[in-house]
Amino acid sequence: MSLRKAIEEHPERRYIMFGGKGGLGKTTFSAATAFWLAQHGHKVLVFSVDPQASLSDIFQQDLFGKGPVKIVENLWAQEIDADQRVREYQDEIRRKILEMYGFDKVPDEIENYIQAASAEPAMEESAIFDAVVDIVVQGGYDYYIYDLVPLGHALYYLSMAKVYDEWIQKITKLREEMREYEEVVRVLRRSSMLEEDKILAELQYIRQRISTSSSILTDRRKTAFFFVLVPEEMVIIDTRKAAELFARFDVPIAGYVVNRVIPRELLGENIPEYLRNRIRMQEKYLAEIRSTFGNQVLAYVPELERDVTGLPMIERMAKIMFEDGAAQGGA
Amino acid sequence: MTHQQPVPTTQTEPQRPGGLRGLWEAFKELVYGMAAHDMTRAAIRTRASMEHLFILITMGDLLGVPILPPYYSLRILPYVVPQIATWKRRMLREKDLSDALF
Repeated sequence: MSLRKAIEEHPERRYIMFGGKGGLGKTTFSAATAFWLAQHGHKVLVFSVDPQASLSDIFQQDLFGKGPVKIVENLWAQEIDADQRVREYQDEIRRKILEMYGFDKVPDEIENYIQAASAEPAMEESAIFDAVVDIVVQGGYDYYIYDLVPLGHALYYLSMAKVYDEWIQKITKLREEMREYEEVVRVLRRSSMLEEDKILAELQYIRQRISTSSSILTDRRKTAFFFVLVPEEMVIIDTRKAAELFARFDVPIAGYVVNRVIPRELLGENIPEYLRNRIRMQEKYLAEIRSTFGNQVLAYVPELERDVTGLPMIERMAKIMFEDGAAQGGA
Repeated sequence: MTHQQPVPTTQTEPQRPGGLRGLWEAFKELVYGMAAHDMTRAAIRTRASMEHLFILITMGDLLGVPILPPYYSLRILPYVVPQIATWKRRMLREKDLSDALF
């Protein structure tokens, strides 16, 4: 199995995600995969859900908070500005309150609450979460590539969907029970129709958005989640743990990509002892990766002589990931 | 379970027609008063306490009890603006003997 096959043999896969510890190359792989798919005629959106996104850096273009920006033919990139989104959202709530009650200004107590709620750390994550739902619901692309946040955050993000969904389900139930009592009163008083419960409608809207998002994340047919790792002990341990957790949240893990493999051919050359040692260390951990993840490893990507930024380097990375035999299967 | 929340209904004020229909209306109200009024009151009361519970769950932050993720509670906020004052009073109020009576 190779990365190329993992994508070509599953044309129904629409959502591709790279996850892993910070700094291992998730953004690089997201960008390269998006680029490769775009080259093959698919309309692709690569977007970042990380507050410290680096798609701007890799494409060498300011993308932050600008919506989808066209990079090349068929390829769009987007970085979500969570702060801006929270601000717009607050304004929307204020506007709604003013309109509904005909106030000139939002009452102090309510305003304080709006401010305090927005200062919560979960607010930013929720805003990003909500933005992702917007992007996905809107549609219009063949592929969506999520440049995911580091593991801990990604897990939080995934678990949030589940927790939110359960919560809202409970609250909605309470609201529906309340509705039943209203109905009893209505019948007893023999009055006409009840007013529509706007709160219930709102809750159902929230629930529907959350379940859209979590159903995408856990859809075995449409979603492929790739783990990025490097041949180092700590990373292997963390990846194994994370893979277990992801499995518990029903996230379909499509395979593993090993990054930063120092080319073994260098051993035959006159290289310093330092580098020789690193290659030997990597060999040990590569063996461990093979025994742990086996044929689930879809590509071994070599350490390059420079960092991957700018389109020519992204193109080269795409070629390594999807076309070069060397990267496929064996190190 | 003391003060009652006004329950939004679309019931219009009954007019007082005269003659036979007036008698019929009066009879209907009498039957309602005897049979259904207490049930209605109980239902309204339960509904009101549930309303408070609902606001506690969604707007708990206002009392310092964060329960629903704030991003979503903000969506509900505009609809509960009128209830917030009475709700806070009720939640933070001390209970007394009259609670048992009414």
